[in-house]
Amino acid sequence: MDVTLFELKQVSHQFGDFQALKGVNLQISSGDRVALVGSSGAGKSTLIRLLNGTLRPTEGEVWALGRNLNQLKPARLRQVQQQIGTVYQQFHLVDNLRVIHNVNAGHLGRWSLFKALLSLLVPLEVKTAKQALTQVGIPEKLYAITRDLSGGQQQRVAIARVLVQNPLAILADEPIASLDPNLSLEVMDLLRDLCQQAGRTLVVSLHDVGFAQSHCDRIIGLQQGAIVFDCSSHEVSSDMLRDLYKGQG
Amino acid sequence: MRSRTAALLTPTRGWGLVSVGAIALSLLAAGMFQQDLVNPDGLPLLLRFFSASIRPDLSPDMLRLTGESSLITLAYAVCGTALSLVFGLVGGLLSSEVWWISVVGDRQRSRTSDLNGISNARPPSQLPTFWLGIRAMLAVPRAIHELIWGLFFVNLWGLDPLTAVLAIAIPFSAIVAKVFSEILDDTPRQSLQALLNSGVPPLSAFCYSLFPQAFLNLLSYAFYRFECSIRSAAVLGIIGAGGLGYQILLSLQSLRYEQLWTFFYALFVLNGIVDFSSAWLRRQLGCASRMDLNLRRTVDRHPGQRHGQGVGVVLLIGIALLIPYCFWYIHPDFSHLWSATTGQRLGEVYRASQPPDWSIVPQLLNLSLATVAMSIMAIALAAIGGLLLAFPAASNLFLPGGLLNPSQEKEANYLPWVGLLLSRAVLLLTRSIPAPIWALVVVFVLFPGILPGAIALGLHNLGILGRLMAEVIENLDQRPLEALKAQGAPASLVFFYGVLPLSLPRFTAYMLYRWEVCMRETVIVGLVGAGGLGRLLMEQLSSFDYQGMVLTLSCFLLLTFAVDWVSASARRSMR
Repeated sequence: MDVTLFELKQVSHQFGDFQALKGVNLQISSGDRVALVGSSGAGKSTLIRLLNGTLRPTEGEVWALGRNLNQLKPARLRQVQQQIGTVYQQFHLVDNLRVIHNVNAGHLGRWSLFKALLSLLVPLEVKTAKQALTQVGIPEKLYAITRDLSGGQQQRVAIARVLVQNPLAILADEPIASLDPNLSLEVMDLLRDLCQQAGRTLVVSLHDVGFAQSHCDRIIGLQQGAIVFDCSSHEVSSDMLRDLYKGQG
Repeated sequence: MRSRTAALLTPTRGWGLVSVGAIALSLLAAGMFQQDLVNPDGLPLLLRFFSASIRPDLSPDMLRLTGESSLITLAYAVCGTALSLVFGLVGGLLSSEVWWISVVGDRQRSRTSDLNGISNARPPSQLPTFWLGIRAMLAVPRAIHELIWGLFFVNLWGLDPLTAVLAIAIPFSAIVAKVFSEILDDTPRQSLQALLNSGVPPLSAFCYSLFPQAFLNLLSYAFYRFECSIRSAAVLGIIGAGGLGYQILLSLQSLRYEQLWTFFYALFVLNGIVDFSSAWLRRQLGCASRMDLNLRRTVDRHPGQRHGQGVGVVLLIGIALLIPYCFWYIHPDFSHLWSATTGQRLGEVYRASQPPDWSIVPQLLNLSLATVAMSIMAIALAAIGGLLLAFPAASNLFLPGGLLNPSQEKEANYLPWVGLLLSRAVLLLTRSIPAPIWALVVVFVLFPGILPGAIALGLHNLGILGRLMAEVIENLDQRPLEALKAQGAPASLVFFYGVLPLSLPRFTAYMLYRWEVCMRETVIVGLVGAGGLGRLLMEQLSSFDYQGMVLTLSCFLLLTFAVDWVSASARRSMR
């Protein structure tokens, strides 16, 4: 399992005057479970958005699945993106649609427009959706209106959508930041298990260093847009973590 | 956070001063203080006209004719709205910023923060120029009033129902496209972004994110468009397309006021039913206010509120039956659209319009000023009248238990109810009757000119504006008002410290928006001889003077754009 899935070569990114990332080099292999830690504004979200092709780097190259994302045509880029699923802190579901449609949205990269429209009227591939919801533990919510679900349940729907998408890698941007500790543990367990079972790669940004150590096998510390350390979970010492969060008012 | 030096002249006060000045100048331009405006000889006629209102002609033949005419007017409105919604949806998608960012966004991602629009200061120049082209293209059909389209199509095809349907559908499509694109651009984009990131093609992603998210707003606006369509269909009747407007004009010209009032009441009922059911349906489905006019939505949706489900299905079936029926009832001849004669005539019109008749330019400048003056007087009248009637017409102020009703116990007091019904009836009557008909009534007692035109437009818009304002009042956030009432403030203080400050910004936005509409509608009172560019345009259209018409129309377009621009900047500065 030493195939390189993601690679960043001297990547910098700038929002206006703000330097979000500078000179980052990084390789992530297939099957890795990587945690990104660091204080707010350290560049974790920017890194994730570069990996899934939402952003283009101001400088440097981002490679995913053996392709340079900078040089792909939109159609090609979409093919790569279909292999990368993303889970967000704010879930990003359509809250007035039924759960099944939000889950089925994972198919949309493969479905024709006609099939997509038809499914809005008569839900298609109900079995797959039901199976995904069973995996995340809420099969009974299949036809519920998404708005009526609790935060933890909505995050499960978002994960089910990624399962239906069936990508090679799952990126998670602060997936537990708006959940309580119990739900956080359940969602993190879920993400770990889903990746372990299918040999998927996981890249997750976290505020909680404890979860990073317990659920991931590699931790990357970011500070002001640069990588401070990058090592396996058990090598991370409390000194390293203290330095990472030091000087952040 | 304004500095103290600027505190005296806030943008709002500045615009207030400008508008007072503009109204005064307009009155001056109308010759308010100089010449004889009132024609006392017309008074007996006006009396006859009003006394006929209590004894409309209700003979069976008359009622049958009224029924048929109402159905025709309704059918024009339904067909026009249906077409404009279809074209408007496509146009709205294509002229929305979010669509083009989704399609070509990845070409420029390095420079913009992202699609979520955290920085909304993204310069539009980064989007393809054809996007701006689409927006500009839609501005032209929007600025030309239904009536001009109608008269042009009459010249082209005669009095085919297609004339009326397209005269509504073309400008309304452009308006719907503009509003839909704004709704789409204002809808939160995170879900869309999430789908696009996982490789979903843009159109599918829209169907699973922005469209369902924006659905209620789109639907709410569609209802409003239908209300507007009914009024336009009545106006188009006047140019001969048939229906209630046509019958009203015939009765008015033959001085049969009893018949005239029968048709008036039919229009009254038709508008009432459409307005009422549209409001009821919007409430059932949980749609927010009809339009936002760039003020942020404050209505919170209650989760778990789902009584709209059954209504939705019934509505869908009803619409699915109504639209084909209406098309069948009036059977517009769509083959005109691709027939060879249409092409030939369009060619002839183009040749006849070349070269433009530049000699009328000085005349145009004078008329432009008169037109602007007319629109300003009209909106001033509409705003004042609307303000006076909106408060008694709102259901949450004076009725027992209302915010401004001092009595706690439910004593039998009919006055608020009478006030409510009366003010609503006046609003409904004034907006039901098309502005040109009001103009014909006004010229009983006033000499023709821009003043009767302004009064007619003002009366018609008063009804629309008053209703919009009453809705604003009913949708106000009740909590601060109840807090004021609970601390024992008298009704008058609740009004001045609560109701008025909360509703005025929205009122102003609506007034400015209706001013833009008034500007376009100066054309339709021009139809019956009120002054301004509208009258000249009508004369040129009916005498096939295309050389002059090209210039008049261009001048009118420029004027419309200028008024839109002033109105938009006033609204923006007051936000």
